[in-house]
Amino acid sequence: MDSQCPAPFPAGFADTVRSQFPLLQQNPDLVYLDSAASSQKPQYVLDTEQAFYTSSYANVHRGSYALASAATEAFENARTAVAAFLNVASDEIVFTRGTTEAINLVAHSWGSTLRPGDEILVSTLEHHANIVPWQLLAQRSGAVIRPIPLDQAGQIDLAAFHSLLGPRTRLLAITQAANATGTRPPLAAMIAAAHAAGALVLVDGAQGVAHGKPDLAALGADFYAFSGHKLFGPTGIGVLFGRRDLLAHMPPWQGGGEMIASVSFAGSSFAAPPQRFEAGTPPIAQAVGLAAALRWLGTLDADALAAHEAFLHSRLEHGLQQLRGVRILAGNTPRAPITALHFDKAHAFDVAQLLDARQIAVRVGQHCAQPLLAHFGISSSLRISLAAYNTPDDVDRCLAALDETLDILA
Amino acid sequence: MNDAFPDHPFGTRISRDELTGRLAHATGWEAKNRLLVQLGRDLPDWPADARTDDRLVSGCESRVWLAISRQGSTFALSADSDSRIIKGLLALVLTAFHGRSANEIATFDLEHWIGELGLLRFLSASRGNGLRAIVLKIREIASIQQ
Repeated sequence: MDSQCPAPFPAGFADTVRSQFPLLQQNPDLVYLDSAASSQKPQYVLDTEQAFYTSSYANVHRGSYALASAATEAFENARTAVAAFLNVASDEIVFTRGTTEAINLVAHSWGSTLRPGDEILVSTLEHHANIVPWQLLAQRSGAVIRPIPLDQAGQIDLAAFHSLLGPRTRLLAITQAANATGTRPPLAAMIAAAHAAGALVLVDGAQGVAHGKPDLAALGADFYAFSGHKLFGPTGIGVLFGRRDLLAHMPPWQGGGEMIASVSFAGSSFAAPPQRFEAGTPPIAQAVGLAAALRWLGTLDADALAAHEAFLHSRLEHGLQQLRGVRILAGNTPRAPITALHFDKAHAFDVAQLLDARQIAVRVGQHCAQPLLAHFGISSSLRISLAAYNTPDDVDRCLAALDETLDILA
Repeated sequence: MNDAFPDHPFGTRISRDELTGRLAHATGWEAKNRLLVQLGRDLPDWPADARTDDRLVSGCESRVWLAISRQGSTFALSADSDSRIIKGLLALVLTAFHGRSANEIATFDLEHWIGELGLLRFLSASRGNGLRAIVLKIREIASIQQ
């Protein structure tokens, strides 16, 4: 590693964090660089979920006995914890299966008010989960999708974005950080411009949320979606934040128990948000696990975590620049600790296979972001993503293996 | 097989037994992958104009092109990919099926052989690659053209 690299800060941070992840402890030779797909889970989250099942578990909201009350309290405390994490109110938090379901909820419920000719701006940075629900909505409603193009660097083309905003713009759907390249769009400016044009903004926080606590009160997004499993929490739990005044006027999108006030065959009336949007038994233990993940995150020094991630990312990209025939996609844009690679003389799949043979786990393919890869004129890339538990040794082993792998494939 | 597809050695000059032996000598996942890279090099690239969309096999992580034609009572197979490792796997598939009859193609247990070679991971349920899709396609075409 050359001398330009910043020093690790603070020393020992990663080892302390890593020691709390049983999967990484049980697989000391594994270099896990796929946290953008899903993060590993700390012991505390596993213990909390287990303890909930063994001490407080029952279905929520309708029990008249003490155990059901305890379960309901744990579930609703989880909602409060998520609201505090995002700096919003508890009744603005809807639990979903994940980011994808949260976005589909908005597309179905809020989207039911759209008229033919209404416009939805969707950026080219988006994951398919923030594209396809809007395309389906456009088919149902006659609304029109207006894609926001990127510039040469792979960042939002702001001039083009401004020219797309107009009186028919109803929604801007934009990621906090692109899953395929890590690129962070200029969110504050885009949200302000969209609001000035009278449009709402949905932010896909699936990647962004894992790399810094989002302050939604400051950000000003109208909807914000994220998944627990990328944030050291369980699978099967996600969050939709919706502004209270918006949720209040949105119709239900799934019918069932929990979401009703009263039901008769003459008609039903619906519960107030957020329960209106949580039909059926919710992911109870998963919500409790997510709250545990947020508490666990709260034990890390946020500045140290950010410095650690920036250090690893910089060390990785310094090293990659020494390798021949390797291109970092959107390398000059501000990014989350994600690095997407394209190889001049090797297929990303082959590189990933040979890395896997050395227990280095990376992701290869189109990363559910085909429009973004098409922007770069490629059909496949290799993505390295970093998290709190990665170490300088992980980065160095990856770089050494990449060097040898590219030799084998040359 | 028409002139569009380059001659390859798999299933004729290179036999299943030979590949079984070479894979057995490659111990460990890295060695097996390296051998696949080598086999991929021995499978000639198709000319660019032969890589047409109608020959693409869907469901693969990398692009895979496949051509099958009946020659008397047997089938001639040719295949290509933009991935070297997938080309190595294609070399195995060609070795199993090239120059065989429809009955042999239908009854040879390729999955079992892949397992014997220690390459079962390539047949996993992951979306990662489409070896199964390739084999299904070959069996389908061979049974239709029988």
